[in-house]
Amino acid sequence: MSQSQEAKAIEVSDIEYSYGSTKAVRGISFSVDRGEIFGFLGPNGAGKSTTIKMLTGQLIPRSGRISILGMAVHGHSAEVHQRIGVCFEEKNLYLQMSAEENLRFFASLFGIRRPDVKGLLERVNLASRSRDRVSTYSKGMRQRLMMARALINEPDVLFLDEPTDGLDPVSARAIRTIIREKAHEGTAVVLTTHDMYEADELSDRVAFITEGRIHAIDTPENLKLKHGSRSVTVRRRMRDSEVEELRLELDTDTFSRKLAEATASGTVMTIHSEEATLEDIFVEVTGRGLE
Amino acid sequence: MRVRSVICILKKDLSVGPRSPIVLFAIVLPVMLTLILQLVFGTLFESPPDFGYVDRGASDVIVELRASESVQLHRFESEDELRDVVRSGRLDAGLILPADFDDEIRAGSRPPLQLYISGESYAVNRLIVTVSSIDAIRSISGAESPVSTEVINLGSDEDISLATRFVPVIAMYAFLIAGMFVPAASLVDERERGTLTAVTVTPASLGDVLAAKLIFGMLLTIVMTLITLWMNNALGTNPTAMILVIVLTSVFWGQLGIIVGLLAGNSQALFAIVKASGALLMAPVIFYLFPDWPQWIASLFPTYWAIDPLWQIMANDAGFPDVIGSVAIVLGMSVILAFSIVVLGRRLSLRHQ
Repeated sequence: MSQSQEAKAIEVSDIEYSYGSTKAVRGISFSVDRGEIFGFLGPNGAGKSTTIKMLTGQLIPRSGRISILGMAVHGHSAEVHQRIGVCFEEKNLYLQMSAEENLRFFASLFGIRRPDVKGLLERVNLASRSRDRVSTYSKGMRQRLMMARALINEPDVLFLDEPTDGLDPVSARAIRTIIREKAHEGTAVVLTTHDMYEADELSDRVAFITEGRIHAIDTPENLKLKHGSRSVTVRRRMRDSEVEELRLELDTDTFSRKLAEATASGTVMTIHSEEATLEDIFVEVTGRGLE
Repeated sequence: MRVRSVICILKKDLSVGPRSPIVLFAIVLPVMLTLILQLVFGTLFESPPDFGYVDRGASDVIVELRASESVQLHRFESEDELRDVVRSGRLDAGLILPADFDDEIRAGSRPPLQLYISGESYAVNRLIVTVSSIDAIRSISGAESPVSTEVINLGSDEDISLATRFVPVIAMYAFLIAGMFVPAASLVDERERGTLTAVTVTPASLGDVLAAKLIFGMLLTIVMTLITLWMNNALGTNPTAMILVIVLTSVFWGQLGIIVGLLAGNSQALFAIVKASGALLMAPVIFYLFPDWPQWIASLFPTYWAIDPLWQIMANDAGFPDVIGSVAIVLGMSVILAFSIVVLGRRLSLRHQ
């Protein structure tokens, strides 16, 4: 096994970056395994984009070290870029060109002689409009084309910035399916998103970042277990026909007894289990919301 | 720098270019200016040279000239009137045929003949008039070279038509729009739309993008300048030297475009820079329009050295050795611009795009 095959997909060690006197990123460290989907969550201005720019070689960190597939990003930029795919939040496509021309051009930059343009466009439901100029596309269509472009070189590491932003539910689901498939094939995926449902559904691990610092990194499940509370709500009709609602904390010693009591008296109408959302956990951990 | 990436980006620019309004502008403007110039100076539908004559003895020379259809004949009764009209530039040339001219020719003598040429006449028209006259005279003599024609320029030899003096202005527009503005606007557009970032997270580097844009500007400059000069009959008598000079100076214009594109963060800044620098860049060609002005002032402007070799070849029939000094100065400036591009490019690649 070669060194790059042994290495983690992404290793970030204590990186820092400042815009003038403003510190955007303050000593961030994390790693991402091959085949892992890593959610990067934080409000606007938290340092997500700056971190992604450093990871993709657009910015050089003031200090710290970044390696992608065992290669230092700065020093092996062409080799690293050959093996990554980036889907930007900004829809930076060539509007005067068709979807097919856009993909063929980017494929040529990767040295791919016969790119599977048709297959990719079918995968993102753009095959029927492949020869239309991108300027005639809707926001959602452009987003899907961005996704196809990020996959043109079959990357080993995929950076996705708000990949389902502006998409209808069906298209968003299709994109999520592609992300899962790529991860299943061994591609490491770094996902930045404001959509907590999406992050929760897709990510193997998430990192909470605010003010340039990571506050927590773990699986969504573990974060909820550590920082959130689970409960069961029982709605029952009492003998006097009144409806009563009981909220029982799940992670307590008395839960089973209280649940038995609640279901024994009166007629049970509904029982709902509830757990904290990732957004709740984010607020709990960072002390602020995602706005 | 990766040659493959440069070629890919160049191919893309060449393919997308014709869909861009700025590239279309760069193609259309010199052509439009040329047509307007030709319309204004009456050369749009150019006719044969205007040739006046005073014929004292119903000479067959005029019959021969009329039959040849190589000149537009105009009859005059007075020699003074003919000279005045030629001197004013309304005729390309004038010929005075004495009463016994044909007889003397046929008798084998060599009578003197005065051919008046306007100082503002194109070189090609002068040639047509001279050759047509000699042919006509030879035809009636039945012998070879029966006369020695004295060609007399009326007006200064240095007189160059205003239409010719406008050609550097149009050529400068071709340089500025095609060579400088197109690469600059293309670069700024890519920065504004974020496509530059998209390209530079592939194996292609910023240097590859800049090299492709430079070559794109150079190709457009060469094509548009040649078209402009050809349309204005201004390729000169040494077209090889002209092409060589255009190719070498196109590097300078393309580099200027890249620097402007790197300095301008957005379209507004780009237009502001172009507006602010336009007069400075165009200044040297204004001096060609006004030959009475001290011409040395034009040489103080850097762009003079890129346009003057064209002017020398076009207007003064210069060869490449005659303009090599100016070309060397342009190439020297290109070296300085290349260093500037490297410095500015590094600054751009190290900061948020």
